[in-house]
This record gives sequence, structure tokens and C-alpha cells, in this order.
Amino acid sequence: MRPADLTPVARDVMRIPAGPGLIFASFVAAYLFNSLPWSGWALLARPDLVLVVIVFWAIHQPNSIGQGLAFALGLAMDVGDSMLLGQHALAYVIATYGAQVLRVRVLAFPILEQSLHVLGLLVGASIVVVLLNLVLGASLPGLAAAVSPVLAAIAWGPLTWILHLPALRRMRRERAA
Amino acid sequence: MHREPPPFFHRGPSPLARLTFFALLAIATMIADHRFGALEAVRLSLSVLVHPVQQLAGAPATALARVGEYFSSQDRLLRENEELKAKLLEFAAAAQQSKLLQAEQDHFLAMTPARSRFAADGLLAEILSHGRNPFVRKLVLDKGLTQGIKSGMPVIDDAGVVGQVTAVGTFTSEATLLTEKDQSVPVMLTRNGLRAIAVGSGKDGSIDVPFMPVSADIQNGDLFVTSGIDGTYPAGLVVARVTAVEKNAAYVFAKITAKPAAGVDNHRFVRILTATRPASPPPPTQADERRPVKERPPGKGRRQP
Repeated sequence: MRPADLTPVARDVMRIPAGPGLIFASFVAAYLFNSLPWSGWALLARPDLVLVVIVFWAIHQPNSIGQGLAFALGLAMDVGDSMLLGQHALAYVIATYGAQVLRVRVLAFPILEQSLHVLGLLVGASIVVVLLNLVLGASLPGLAAAVSPVLAAIAWGPLTWILHLPALRRMRRERAA
Repeated sequence: MHREPPPFFHRGPSPLARLTFFALLAIATMIADHRFGALEAVRLSLSVLVHPVQQLAGAPATALARVGEYFSSQDRLLRENEELKAKLLEFAAAAQQSKLLQAEQDHFLAMTPARSRFAADGLLAEILSHGRNPFVRKLVLDKGLTQGIKSGMPVIDDAGVVGQVTAVGTFTSEATLLTEKDQSVPVMLTRNGLRAIAVGSGKDGSIDVPFMPVSADIQNGDLFVTSGIDGTYPAGLVVARVTAVEKNAAYVFAKITAKPAAGVDNHRFVRILTATRPASPPPPTQADERRPVKERPPGKGRRQP
């Protein structure tokens, strides 16, 4: 595999739409990851892969994944984490809106710059959650909470590669044929 | 002439309109959940969907723990056995005495209308996880609606009160720890029967006892037990031991900090008390109002002037 496959120059792979199966599987996997028995500081530093996957599909597949799904998955996260219903929903919806607005701009950049954009969106989402909890009377979380968006942004590169693998394979097959 | 865009370009509301809609929806959800607790049904049904995923996610860790336990050294088990035997002997005398006391108590209580406020029935529950919300202190337990768990039931371990069940799912329930901010328990000082309310401080391993006057007779090392006057916690469960008493004449109230007796991080099992208070004595207001009317001799009542 050539790493250059994903640079803007050779981006035709990104134009191949992903199947609903891949999208569904990616969400289930991300939700599983988020549901691992994290606790203590690891819980605070847990990269929110569900949000990264939402942002990914909102950028690469804007016609099928949007704010409605972000809202629903946010509710599911709130239920799983036993938080006030709607917190994650709000954060996810805001991040998805950001992704929709920045979509064309983000796609014009190579992976590293893309993940910096994603970092911004994720930081915004965690600030929303922290602010909401401050309003509800919780105290500020530790510094570990700041690590979470960074880890998630780091995951953007590998995630892009993994989620484009099926498309890459199909493209190869078509070229070979 | 007004022309519709061709269906190819038709994409529905703009992202900003969608954002406004969903953000308002999310805020409405939060208000409904926080202020009115109106979404328990939604949470419950969603939790049925989410539960298998969580079980699946927790499976590797559980399996690892099981394997680790299997290989735990025989040494440790032997040592534990010795300790438990010693404890058993230690408690044997107390247990016999308690039987006597229980009999006496039953005898006395039979003579009075109020019934026992002490805990009888309980259910052993395994701690599944420490809750995955970094902002609150909760435990997830493996008993839920199907086992008859209800919101409000006290949760204890061998050393004292752990907390209270605050949310119930189908197969699991959530217990909020005593140390959670604003979680309060009515308590009583064992030494002199002084009543107070212990409130969680939001920090691990400490609870506060606010609003006690500076003159209150509370010392370091005093033991707080539940007073049982709330009808939620049965009386006599160990809650916390006072660790610091700060009396400053400049303030009206003393600053009292206590350490919960229950060791939440040490165990895998807790006990949920299901039948805590069989029947509370009838509220006095109605009875008091009616009695004079009944006992009033005819001819002297207000209705017959």
C-alpha cells in the first residue's frame, strides 16, 4: 500500500461511497471501544471514538450521516455512561455541525492537517460536556480530560486508513479488471 | 416565477437550521431529564439496547479477572481463611447476644404499634463497574428491575453503608456513593445520640456533616450510624467515622469531616437492602384530627351549637 493513496492528489478513492455495512460496523466498533470498562483517569482520558467516527462520516459521506444520527448516538452514550440524557447529544450535534461546515476545507488538506481540524472539533465537544457538568454542579475534571481529544485526533489518521481500506481494495480490483 | 430547485439538489434544511433544531432538542431533553425526571422510560428502554454491547465490551476484562482469581495463590486464600475464622469467633459471642437482644426487641415492639426499623432482607449484588461517568461517583450493580430492585434502596457492605440505588435498569442498577456531592444520609452519633445529616463532599473518601453548631459535642473518632428517621435507610448502619472537627468561633457552624466506613474499592460484592422498613407508623396528622371528634361527647360538638 502506498501511503500517498490518501493525499489530495490521489483522492479518487474517497469518492467511492462506503457501504451501509461498513458504516454500521464502524459505529458498533467505536461504541464497543467507548464501552470498555474504563475507570478513574483512564476514563477521563478515553478518546471518544464514537465522535471521531461520526465526524469522519459527516466529512466523507455527508449525504448519509448527519446531525440526526449524531444526536441518537449521543443519547446512546449518555445512557451507557449514565449521564444526564442529552449532554453527549448536544456535544455531538455541535461537533457534527462543525464538520459539515468545515467539510470541503478539511478534505483539501493532507491527513496531519485534517487531524488538527478534527482536534479542534473534539476540543469543542469536550468543552461543551465539561461546561454542562459545571452548570450541573460537578467540579472541573483533571488534566487527563485534556488528553482525550488529543488521543482521538491521533486516531484520525489510522481511522481514515482503516475505513478506506474496502474502497481501496475495490478500486484496485476495478483497475485490475 | 418561483422555481423549485431540481430534486437532485434538494437537501432539506440547512446545517445551521438542523443544528438549531437538534441543539434545542438536546437542551429540552436535558431539562426534562434533570428537572422532571421524565425520561426514565426512555433511559430504561435504551439501556436494554445498550446493555448487551456493554456486556460484550466488559467481557475481556471480566474474563481476565476470573483467570487472575483462578491463579491467585493458595497462600492468600489460606491467610484469608485464617482471618475469617478469627473474625467468626470474634463475632460469635456478639451474634448470640444479638439473638437475645432481637428476641427482647421483638417482644417490646410487639407491645407498641411501631414496628422494627432494622434491616431484614437483602440481596447480594456484584459490582459490575465503577460507573463510566467521570463527573459523579456511582457503582453499576448486576441486579435490576427483574430482581425487584427499586430506586432508593440502601446499599451496604460488611463495614457500613456504601450508598443508595438511584437508577434501575432491567438487569442492572446504579448506586450513588455516599461521597457523591449532595448525597445525604440522616445519621446519629453513637456516643450521645446527636442527630445530624451527612452530606457527600464530592471528593473520594470524605463526607461532610454541615450545619452543626460550634457547641455540638462531636469529637475526632466519633462514629456516625444511620438514624433511620428518613424511612430510607434502616437505623443502626455504620456510616462514617469523624476525622476532623474544626471549630472556629467566627463561624456559626463547625466544619466536620468524616471518612465513610464502607470500603467501596475493596470488594466485588455489596448487599442491597430490599425490605428496609416494613411499615412506617401512620402519619399523626389525620389520626390527631379525627380522635377529638370521635371522643367528643354528643351534644358538645361544634356541629351542634
